[in-house]
Formats: sequence, structure tokens, C-alpha cells
Amino acid sequence: MSQLLQQLVLGLLLGGVYVSVALGFSLVWGILNIVNLAHGAFVIIGAYITWVLFSRLGVDPFLSLPVDALVLFALGYGLQRGLINRVIRAPLLFTFLLTFGINLVIVSLLLLIFSPDFRSVTPRYSGSGLSLGSVTIPYIGLARLGIAMLLALVLWFVLNRTRIGAGIQAVGADRDAAQLVGIDLRHVYALTFAIGAAFAGVAGGLIGLQQSITPTAGDPFTLQSFAVVILGGLGRVSATIAGGLLFGLIQVLGLNAPGLGAGYSNAIAFAVLVVVLAFRPQGLLGRLA
Amino acid sequence: MDMKGKLRVTLVASAMLATACGGAATTPSPSIGSTLVIGSAISLTGSQAKEGNLAKQGYDLWYDWIQAQGGITVNGVKHPVSLIYEDDQSKPDLSATLLEKLITAEHAQFILGPYGSAATATDAVIAEKDGIPMVEANGAAQAIFSKGYKYTFGVLSPANKYLTGVIDMAATLSPKPTTVAMLSANDNFSVEVAKAVVDYAPSKGMQVVFNKTYPAAAPDVSGLLSQVKPLNPDIILNSGHLAEAIAINKAAKDLNINAKIFAYSVGPSTPDFVDALGKDANFVYDGSQWTPQVKYSPQFYLSVNQYVLAYKTKYNATAAPDYHVAESTAACLALQKAMENAKSLDPAKVRDALASLDVMTFFGEIKFDSRGINVFKPMVVEQIQGGVHYTVFPPDVANGQPQYPTPAWSQR
Repeated sequence: MSQLLQQLVLGLLLGGVYVSVALGFSLVWGILNIVNLAHGAFVIIGAYITWVLFSRLGVDPFLSLPVDALVLFALGYGLQRGLINRVIRAPLLFTFLLTFGINLVIVSLLLLIFSPDFRSVTPRYSGSGLSLGSVTIPYIGLARLGIAMLLALVLWFVLNRTRIGAGIQAVGADRDAAQLVGIDLRHVYALTFAIGAAFAGVAGGLIGLQQSITPTAGDPFTLQSFAVVILGGLGRVSATIAGGLLFGLIQVLGLNAPGLGAGYSNAIAFAVLVVVLAFRPQGLLGRLA
Repeated sequence: MDMKGKLRVTLVASAMLATACGGAATTPSPSIGSTLVIGSAISLTGSQAKEGNLAKQGYDLWYDWIQAQGGITVNGVKHPVSLIYEDDQSKPDLSATLLEKLITAEHAQFILGPYGSAATATDAVIAEKDGIPMVEANGAAQAIFSKGYKYTFGVLSPANKYLTGVIDMAATLSPKPTTVAMLSANDNFSVEVAKAVVDYAPSKGMQVVFNKTYPAAAPDVSGLLSQVKPLNPDIILNSGHLAEAIAINKAAKDLNINAKIFAYSVGPSTPDFVDALGKDANFVYDGSQWTPQVKYSPQFYLSVNQYVLAYKTKYNATAAPDYHVAESTAACLALQKAMENAKSLDPAKVRDALASLDVMTFFGEIKFDSRGINVFKPMVVEQIQGGVHYTVFPPDVANGQPQYPTPAWSQR
């Protein structure tokens, strides 16, 4: 029983990582209709910034998160305005190809700058945790989950309670109508992409605390973000939260499924995905387009 | 392409130099023969770029040395070497394709192996088909050698030896550990490592209380470790890769799991492991193909100390080379010695010379069994103590004592 409880806790904590990674991905996909294949690379850039600040200047990894966000915001804005905007109205395949290419370029640049060495952010308090009976809750995991929820709240607030958020939603609903009422499309596009990238950067900063950072470590996050959005549904912050937490739970429980080797964990996770796609294609909390 | 260009320039320069020296010498020196082309499709980018580049460093160290000698002497003729790389991007299928290209388009006469068991297995098919000898140093799965291939030789100890040394060492310690938990990635190399331990541990009076696989490069291993915790095993073993070894060590601390021995098949021997974990890396054991402390008396090439020095000089490194570098250099040595012994560059004759090779190098003995595996070289056990690697087993090559048992996380 306590074993199950421990795994539920770990699953939720892992889900926190997925939520933070998928928020930006979901936003960009939902509003701009871009499946950003460079999303995982953005995450890893954030991780490297945190690592550099931590290892060179001794900055606490949690304090470097705003820096991650700012740098990635600027990078995202520039990339969208200068590059991706040129194919924004082209068929989906074009943006696919373009973001795929951007991903390759970023990974190769990271390889040149940082070499393929494994980097890791291990602050002093790493490894301490809260013990509740036989259940252990690692502090860092808890903080990560908390920050993921905070990010989700910020995104929800920006989208629903601010003028710029209204503009973003309007563009997502009908770009031509949005332009007619005087919204600067190019600015809103770039801004949306920049916010998505900034969120990826923060997620990266959090991820460096858990796993090793290498130039290629970002690729799985793009896939996982995709899975989270499919699972939860597109176009709502709450859907990303549900999808992320659920995906974390499925992964951890799948790893420990009785009677099956843990090697089946990915198979179980993606089998659930197929079932969701078949019976509820809009995702658990998604809206039908 | 750039690299190849550079190699060719070096090659021409060194050939000219050799000719000049040859002309000046009074004693008859070997004449200069045709350039020998050696190819390798290795992971320079992609998920195994780290390990692939280490292997390349090992190849390049030998290349520099052999070029300084003027080439490989085969039957009285010195053949300069051209070493050509292709980047397989850490994709085993691509490795085979590129190897084919190296053989057909670049006319590679001999092959040095790629990085990893999976790529080695696909490359072995090509080597066999084309009858080109391949000496590999980075594929330890015995599955590669179970297909009856005649042209593939591995200089490293096979996968089943990786962690059994840790069990042997554990059996000599007091209080003797009695329970083992095994966590293994689900690739063929890691599974072989794990299976060997599970088969071997009972013969040393140890009981395997947990044995599970996880998907390679698993995002999170803490769920799996949380299952291990209530079993409270004396020994926690991982057969996997660097990233997972780091993740498991972190998760063990997160969950406050205290074993007497933590040992990982791959990872702790690289400097990255200590960099990543800081003092949490202390007390961790690993099975290693080679350490800079081993005591072997080589018949040719460099001594262990000279090798470490050569590495530090060339790569401007403060740390000694890890075993990926050393085993890769050893593959070059085996190939070189086989050509010298064969007194021919004929692929079939060099293959036969490889099959009957028995030579002592800085890396240890290189001798192949009928399958092409070097079962004659022992694995050693290392432990990280105060951030430094010490060889702790077997005692005759060790330069330190095991620090045992590992203190609890709360008492470090």
C-alpha cells in the first residue's frame, strides 16, 4: 500500500516535469498551429543556461529560471519574426520541416559549444526529501511540481485576464477576423511563440536538476510534449495539466506494472495514447475543433 | 571531408619526410609502400557522441604514433596509414550504410569498429559480406560473436564479465553482502551484463532479490528504485549507460536508499560522472575494461604511463584517459600487429593472423577465442574515493583498498 502511495507521489512529481515542458508546446500548437519540433532543443538551451550560471557563477538553479525565460523569450521572438513567420500560412508540412531544421541547427551548435559531455546541476540540497512514514517526497521534485503549477497559473492569467492574452486568443480563433479588428498579427504571432519558448526555457532549468544535460537530450521532450497534448487535449491550460500529470503517473506505474517487465513502460504509455486517440480524439479535456 | 583533406596532407607530408630520412640513412631501411586505408563509421554526433568521440580519440592517438613511425611495416615495406571516419550519428543502421560506403567508395582495406554493441552488430554483417577484417573495441555484447562471423574481432572483455568482478570482490569483504538488486536497461549489451550477474551471484552465496529492466534512456528511474527500497539490498547494481547511472545515483539519494555497495556497469569511469554528482559520486564502484593504474608489461607500443602522458599531451587534458579511449587504441594495435605478423595486406591472411594473435599491450593481453572475443583479459573493479578513481580489485593490479561499507546518505 505504501509502495503504491510512493509511486503515485513519484508519478505526480514526474508529471510536474511534463506539465512544465508541454505548456509552451501546447500554446504554440493551439494558437499558431505549429507543431514545434525544436521545442525540446529550447528546453535544453534553458538547461544549459542554468548549468552555466550554476557551475561558473554559483547561481542557485531556481534563481536562474527568470534568466532562462528571458533569453528563450528573446530567441523565440526573433526566430518567429525572422524565420518561421515566412511560412506561417503555408501547409503544416512546411512548418514541420522548418522547425525540424531549426532543431538540428540548435543541437549541432550546442554540440560545438558545449561538447557532448554530460552536464549536471547538483546543488547542495539535492537529494534531501520529506519523509512521511515510508513515503519519501524529494524537495526538488516538489518544488518542480509547484513551479509547473505556477507557470500554468501565469499562462492562464495572461491568456484570460490581459489584453495581450485576449489578442492571442483572438488570433487563435480566427486570424483574419483578428486582423480586421486591428490586431498586429506579426507581433502576436512572435509574442505567442516567444512565450512558448520562454516556458520551455524554464522547464529546461528545472530538468537539469533531475537528469544529465547533453545536446541531444531534448528530443524526447518534444515527443513527450506531443503525447501530453494528445492525452490532455489542445487549447486549454487545464488540459495540459491533466495530460502531464496523467502521463507521469502512467509512466511510473507502467514501470512497475506487476507481471510485465519495466521495459514495457513506454509501450503502456503510448498504448494509452492510442486508446485516447481512438475513443476521445479531442483529448480528455480538449475542445472539439 | 575537411578532416579527410587534412589527413591526406599529413599523410603526404609524413611520406615525404620518411623518404627524405630514408635517403639519408646509411643502413638499408624499409621502402615506402602504398598507403593503407583504414575506415571507421563512428558516433561523432547523436546520443552516443560522447562515447564515440572518446573512441575516436583512442584511434587518433595510435594514428599519430604510427605516422610518426612512418607507417606499418609489412614484409619489409613501410605502409603509411590513412584513417577515414564517417559519422554514423549514433544510428546503428546508418553505421552499416556508411561502412559499405567506406569500403566501396573510399576503398578501406581494414575496419576499426563503431561505438556500441548495436552498431557493431550491424557493421559486422558488412565486414563479413565483403571479407574485410574489422577489429572493434566498443561492442561487448556476445550476441555479436554468436553468428559465426570470421572477420570481426573484439579486443575488450565481453559483457558477461562487466559486473561479475564486483560480485567476486564483494565476496571477499566483511561483513559479507548477501542480497543483490539488479536494474538493467533493455538493450542487448545491458541485458547480457545483468544475466551474467543473476546467474553468477548465487555461486558466491548471494541472493538476487530484485531483477528488472527499464527502457534504455528512461526518463525517470525513481519509480523503479522505490520498489527496491523496502527490500533493503546490500548491493545495488545497474547495467546501463552513463545518463542512467547518474539518474540512479541521484534517485537513490532522493529516496534515501542505503546499500553497502553501489556499482554501475558504465558511467562512473568517465570524468563526467564525478563532475555531475560531486561528492555523491564517492564510494561508487564500476567494472572497467582498463584503468590508468593497471600493471601490464607491453611487448610494443607505449607503457601504461607513457600512454597516459601521450593522451594528456595530445588532448591537453588533466584527467587520465578512460577505458573507452584505451580499448580503442588497443583495437588499432591488434590490427597493426596482425598485419605485421601476416607479412601481407591480403584481408584473408590478416584475418588469420588476427585469429592466432597473442600479444601483451598496455591494455592487457589481446588474444581471441574461436568466436573472436578477447576472453583472456580480466576486468578490473574501480571505486571513486574522494573524487579520485582507485583500482580496488583484483588485488594484484589494484592501487587502493575498497572503502566498505558505503556510509548512509545521512552520514556523508
